[in-house]
Amino acid sequence: MGIEPDRLHFSWISSAESTKFVEVVTGVTEAVRALGPHQKFVKTNVKVA
Amino acid sequence: MKVIKIDKKDWAGGLDKASSGYRFFGPVEDKECHNFKELDKGELPDFNFSNTRLSAKSVVFPQTEAMFEYSLDENEADHHLMKECRKNDAPRAVLGIRPCDASAFLLVKRNFDNPEYRDPWWVKAYESTTFAGLACNNPCASCFCTSAGCGPFDEKGLDVLLVDAGDHFLAKVVTEKGRKMLAAAGWNAETDADIEALKKDAESKISSFVPTDKLKDKTTMELYNAAFWEEAAFACLNCGTCTYSCPTCWCFDIQDESKGKSGIRMRNWDSCMYPLFTLHGSGHNPRGTKIHRVRQRFMHKLKYYVDKYGDGIQCVGCGRCIRLCPVNIDIRKICEKMNSYEPKAGDCNR
Amino acid sequence: MSNYTDKIREISERLLKEGRVDMVIGFKQGTMPMMNEPCFVKKPEDVSKLVWDSHCGINLANYLTDRKEKIGVIAKGCDSRNIVTHIIENKIKREQLVIIGVPCKGMIDRRKIASMSDAEILSVAEQNGKVIVKTKDAEKRYERTDLLQKNCALCVHRNPVIYDELAADLVEEQKNVDRYADIREIEAMPPDEKWHLFDDLFSACIRCYACRNACPLCYCPTCFVDESRPQWVGKSTDPIDTKTFHFLRAYHCAGRCTDCGACERACPVGINMRLLTRKLEKDCFESFGWEAGLSLDQRPPLDVYKTNDPEDFIK
Ligand code: SF4
Ligand code: SF4
Ligand code: SF4
Repeated sequence: MGIEPDRLHFSWISSAESTKFVEVVTGVTEAVRALGPHQKFVKTNVKVA
Repeated sequence: MKVIKIDKKDWAGGLDKASSGYRFFGPVEDKECHNFKELDKGELPDFNFSNTRLSAKSVVFPQTEAMFEYSLDENEADHHLMKECRKNDAPRAVLGIRPCDASAFLLVKRNFDNPEYRDPWWVKAYESTTFAGLACNNPCASCFCTSAGCGPFDEKGLDVLLVDAGDHFLAKVVTEKGRKMLAAAGWNAETDADIEALKKDAESKISSFVPTDKLKDKTTMELYNAAFWEEAAFACLNCGTCTYSCPTCWCFDIQDESKGKSGIRMRNWDSCMYPLFTLHGSGHNPRGTKIHRVRQRFMHKLKYYVDKYGDGIQCVGCGRCIRLCPVNIDIRKICEKMNSYEPKAGDCNR
Repeated sequence: MSNYTDKIREISERLLKEGRVDMVIGFKQGTMPMMNEPCFVKKPEDVSKLVWDSHCGINLANYLTDRKEKIGVIAKGCDSRNIVTHIIENKIKREQLVIIGVPCKGMIDRRKIASMSDAEILSVAEQNGKVIVKTKDAEKRYERTDLLQKNCALCVHRNPVIYDELAADLVEEQKNVDRYADIREIEAMPPDEKWHLFDDLFSACIRCYACRNACPLCYCPTCFVDESRPQWVGKSTDPIDTKTFHFLRAYHCAGRCTDCGACERACPVGINMRLLTRKLEKDCFESFGWEAGLSLDQRPPLDVYKTNDPEDFIK
């Protein structure tokens, strides 16, 4: 589709796995931050012709 | 009226000269077909086409058009006010529009510009436009313009009629607006060349004819209840391609969209072929089935319009809906059916 | 092909006479070259309306949705697979149908023919595997196999998968077809390139939804693009909204699409939206070994859970 694969993450974390949760969230945040703001699937208002 | 000879060598130069006073629109080839678009500076319209895939109506009536805008940003002067969008009303000229598409504007005008109601956006765009049409020397087999009150050299919607005559164009001046545009381009070589023969020749090439003479004498309810609609509508996908490609279809839908602190109110083409078109807030839909919708499209074009304005059908015979319909629903056949319809006892289609 | 037509008429006449069906759904001769119109026949004496040739690319399963009559329906390989899907999804009952199977050698690509000729095409006929294209001043002959609709050239299920009657002997299936060469190319592109590809692919879309409406899978009473409470997608010609429509529609067809090509055939501007549906088809095949519409006894992969479903994307 043209969206960077690193913007999408799937993980299965049990409520007992708090360390894994922290790791995953940190990982996701870092991955997305590295990519910067998403510019593509963003809509602007219709232009006036 | 005057005919001016434009040498093709002087074509680009003339357009360039006139471009300070006009925004030019013309057919351009993209992805194997021609469509109208605003020409960039120095870009020439491409006249190597039989007709554009979609009609030229979008030049005056775009598929999506912003009407009003607002901002809630208190730093802006007119915040919290719904304002009419400012448009570019500078004079424009459409080059190479076919006579059928141009005369379609006259049919559409009855809807957008009449004593009861004047649509400001349509009227402004229409009035600022000069239509420099291109006569059809070789009409398609699916065009039936001469049956629809139009023709390959028809002038009534045009300001200038261009005729391609090999190494030059013959430009017939139809209106004052047209004369001004030619003058702005510096084309002024008057000629007594006669375009009548070319016109006759083109008209004789039209091979498709549709009878419309009896439509006005038919009883509306009898036609409405005719049994043939079930069969006529069966294949239809209700995709609306026919209405989007039609130069005379004028329906639109109004939508609001906002983003952050600002937003607009716009209109988008809509189509009687869509179930949503008539869906009421209550959930009831008076045109709830495909048969209702197909019947509406043809009844509007070929009966209601005929009765309301007494000036023929709401169709110019460009043949686009026939060529583009994915399932080959053919307005010529339906028109024939309507025109020749005689109710039989027991005919009823709800 | 004329023997197909004869046989179809013969079967239809018999079914209608015997009262086994209330109507037969098929094609009638179109008014334009390379176009036929889907139609129904309710009386035995009207079966002469029915025709069959290489221009019957619209998927007739689309005309079965929620019908209550007993119907004889003419079905190519792909149509039959969509009929299976319809039955599985409760859009029609097997008992209502008499399926007249048409072993198919592929439909002809009307756009390809049109784009090969500068002049207007006046007629297209066929003779011994050759296609004869007539314009005002010329007549050209082509190999039929060079002019197949794109999906037909890739088709590996030309014979109907379910049928009650057959309009001709079964045909040989195409073997060793590489169905996804172009999809693999796109998969290998970096994100930006993909984005530009789709931007360009859908730039001509006029949001008419002919693709959706021609698709037998798209039968939702209210499509997500038409929903107004909430409004999921904007209605203008905004490219983001247009792409949202196409991406989401493709996902809704995942594991159901048979690559019948009706969507692409119907599109008035010739957009190849099958690039999206085929990617999902490929994924379903690779992940679940699934091809849509082959059997009445198997549930589609997206409505069953299996313990061996692939899950390596979950970290
Ligand atoms: S283009 Fe054809 S199928 Fe689509 S709405 Fe019009 S008549 Fe129906
Ligand atoms: S049929 Fe073509 S133009 Fe219409 S919505 Fe689908 S892709 Fe867009
Ligand atoms: S998405 Fe296109 S190819 Fe797939 S079943 Fe629907 S119409 Fe056929």
